[in-house]
Amino acid sequence: MDSLLSIRDLSIAYRGRGGTSQALREVSLDLYRDETLGLIGESGSGKTTLALAVLRMLPPAAHIPQGQILYHHDGRTADVLSLGAERLRRYRGEEVAMVFQSALSSLNPVLRIWDQFLDTARAHGETDPARVRTRTRELLSHVQLEPERVLSAFPHELSGGMRQRVMLALALLLRPRVVVLDEPTTALDILTQRTIIDLLRSLRREFGFSMMFISHDLSLAAELADRVATMYAGRIVEIGTTDELFYEPRHPYTVGLLQAVPTVHGDHRTLHSIPGSPPNLQRLPAGCKFHPRCPYVRPVCTEAEPDLLHVSNGHRSACFFWDEVRR
Amino acid sequence: MRKYLAQRIARAVLTIFLVVSFTFFLIRLMPGNPIDLYVQEQVTTYGHTYEQALEQARGFFALDVDAPLSVQYAQYLGNLARGNLGQSILSPGTPVSSLIKKFLPWTLFSVGLALMISFTLGVGLGMLMAYRRESWIDHVLTIIATVTTAVPNYLIGILLLVVLGVQTNLINVAAIRGSLSPGVRPGLTLTFLLDALSHAALPITTYVLATAGAWMLSMKSNTLGTLGEDYVGFARARGLPDRRIAIAYVGRNALLPLFTQLTIAIGFVVGGSALIEYIFNYQGIGLVLYESIVRRDYPVMQGVFLVITVSVVLANLLADLLYGRLDPRVDLTAEPV
Repeated sequence: MDSLLSIRDLSIAYRGRGGTSQALREVSLDLYRDETLGLIGESGSGKTTLALAVLRMLPPAAHIPQGQILYHHDGRTADVLSLGAERLRRYRGEEVAMVFQSALSSLNPVLRIWDQFLDTARAHGETDPARVRTRTRELLSHVQLEPERVLSAFPHELSGGMRQRVMLALALLLRPRVVVLDEPTTALDILTQRTIIDLLRSLRREFGFSMMFISHDLSLAAELADRVATMYAGRIVEIGTTDELFYEPRHPYTVGLLQAVPTVHGDHRTLHSIPGSPPNLQRLPAGCKFHPRCPYVRPVCTEAEPDLLHVSNGHRSACFFWDEVRR
Repeated sequence: MRKYLAQRIARAVLTIFLVVSFTFFLIRLMPGNPIDLYVQEQVTTYGHTYEQALEQARGFFALDVDAPLSVQYAQYLGNLARGNLGQSILSPGTPVSSLIKKFLPWTLFSVGLALMISFTLGVGLGMLMAYRRESWIDHVLTIIATVTTAVPNYLIGILLLVVLGVQTNLINVAAIRGSLSPGVRPGLTLTFLLDALSHAALPITTYVLATAGAWMLSMKSNTLGTLGEDYVGFARARGLPDRRIAIAYVGRNALLPLFTQLTIAIGFVVGGSALIEYIFNYQGIGLVLYESIVRRDYPVMQGVFLVITVSVVLANLLADLLYGRLDPRVDLTAEPV
């Protein structure tokens, strides 16, 4: 398959007062053409850091001891982490776009929506307002907004769901090939969430981009993703197709996440939470980072950390005993 | 909107009336009055009887300090309503309005220019400090800003005078006394402008030094807050150029709270100049106020206080009206909840 983004052995640490936090540890991941990849995990598992790294939007306290983020385009490959300032600016928005979690605060309150579209187009060399207008209208209609009404409005005059849709349209303005979404539905009510999910699907069909989204909402991942990666303590601990991950999870943490979600048909007594709490990123335990919370723990787990092991074609799990893990 | 405007203007007029009345009585509560001083002088120097001197003073000053306060107050308001601010007691025959007309422009020129310089400098440096936070430039500027803000402006003025004018002799203090050199006529000529600027340079430097620090510190903290906003992150993620983000996304939003402060500062342009103009002997309205207070020149004091009140009230009115234009989230016509 055609890989658009290849993340290779990427480690990211945050320097803070109490020491260094290992936000990502030697993560390797590919995002393929026309696929939707969901990253799931608890807060602090490194999923947001990974998403921000793809756009090189990490906060100043972050540093990258090793790794590469390769972007493949037209048979050429660019290392995102070493792009010059101007090429990085063009890369953001034109090649990879990002949609933030906070629909309510992600638009500049003092500029009309139209100006924010125009700003974006101009920043990437489109100087003809008429062309921008046409493209913008098309996008806004696609996200089911009335273009003329929305374009002349200020952000505070729109509802949260409308603002989220404006953000989607704005992210797609420059025809990016990858869209990264950070908790795209978390800030919205449940009905609006539904519309956004449907919209994301239809937009992807229409405009054909790859999507990488972060969520702790497993049902969102199940609905939207082709592949899902589970992250824990800065690592990918399991990755596979959505069906495999949800029906035959092979990592105890994925199993724990699935059992923590109530289902419509399920008995509420079958609902379990994962015992313990996420690890302290400044003082990670030895061996497998999940072993203090793991029901399958054996002596070897406290000594060595497993790599991602082959389960089946495309399905890998970082558990020595994946064969025993069952839902 | 029209209803809102009418309400605001009515409130402004009421405010001016209240302040004018308040200052009228407050001024008369100060110990000593000009006529006592004059009468005493007539009696001791020219041997007039007390009654004679008082009679003379009454005719001379067109002011009867023995009349009941209520009568004086009614008279004052009546004159004010006709646009008559009265005459100076010290320089009889000089209407207060002509004093204001003569001295106010110099203050507006010097303090107004200083305010513009100070605001621009403060906003620019404040943003620089925020963008380069925790660098040496941020630390140095923070210290300078804190110190200059803490020192009162008249001390800064005296310090400038002593250091530049006396100790190092870099500036010829005698040559820049007053607001214009003798022989220079006001007009749109380069000589006039340069001369006016050289005379105003020290007062302006003082105002700027005394006020820029506060603008810098406010702008720094506003900018830091704005830099963390999601819309700035989203703008960067769309590949907007840094310049555009700094101006339209960070700058405009960080400036909004400063704007109210600026309009209020404009209101204090007139009032804040008294001590500085006295120190530099700059012929502005502040100096007039200072002298009129020392000599208890009631009509002049009332006149200058009126100008100060009107400018503060107008500036506030302007701030309220303009804010709705600058921040689209503010709806002036909305009923208060």
